[in-house]
Amino acid sequence: MTVDLTITAKNRLAELERVGHAIAEFGTEHAVSSKALFEINLAVDELLTNTISYGYDGDAEHEIIVRLCLQADELLIEVEDDGRPFDPLTVDAPAVDQSLEDRRVGGLGVFLVRKVMDELAYRREHGRNILTMRKTMRAKESAA
Amino acid sequence: MEIAESRQDGVIILGLNGRLDASNAHAFEAKLLALIDAGEQRFVIDCAKLDYISSAGLRALLVGGKRLKTSGGQIGVAALQEHIKEVFDIAGFSSIFHVYRTPAEAAAALR
Repeated sequence: MTVDLTITAKNRLAELERVGHAIAEFGTEHAVSSKALFEINLAVDELLTNTISYGYDGDAEHEIIVRLCLQADELLIEVEDDGRPFDPLTVDAPAVDQSLEDRRVGGLGVFLVRKVMDELAYRREHGRNILTMRKTMRAKESAA
Repeated sequence: MEIAESRQDGVIILGLNGRLDASNAHAFEAKLLALIDAGEQRFVIDCAKLDYISSAGLRALLVGGKRLKTSGGQIGVAALQEHIKEVFDIAGFSSIFHVYRTPAEAAAALR
């Protein structure tokens, strides 16, 4: 894929805000609607959070790479890490219609990613997890 | 993220300012649980200045809500910005938390 933006993040939760800003800048440059931008930020955040929180044994520093590519009305996002093998697509969706007492606490992150992205694909290559997401972008709304 | 805390007529109002994500959600959860364990029963989460929330923030709210339920308390969520409300709706949180337009409305409903 031709890459318009590459963000290299350390596996530290403090990086989430910086990544969010980088994506926001990209969104502004390419006239992405505020709704789509929020959703893209959210999806990348959730994947990064999972990798940072669960992807590694020990505390060593690793790099997680986020690539964005905007082609016509389609945004491709790739999140790549060298953590332990993990396919987010195998995570069970939580039931979202249950009462407060019955709601399970976990499983929401990947669920949200599935909801705000149009397509997801996972592959494991050369010891790396690669999650690719596709989102069809509508023209920027007039009320941002 | 900054949390502004105030009390009005027996209701604790927590104003969230900024981003609530995995880097700070645990601190929010700890604060909420500490207040609940200290006996507070009624909470309004004022989201007027909350720009961003991820599942970590939702999770903190859910943990607080569950703890409060066992003691008979309630959380009202107020002034959700448009995109935050969308996340709430997708996650089914709009049906397990009462959502209000303003903190005043939320506080009134909790009394």
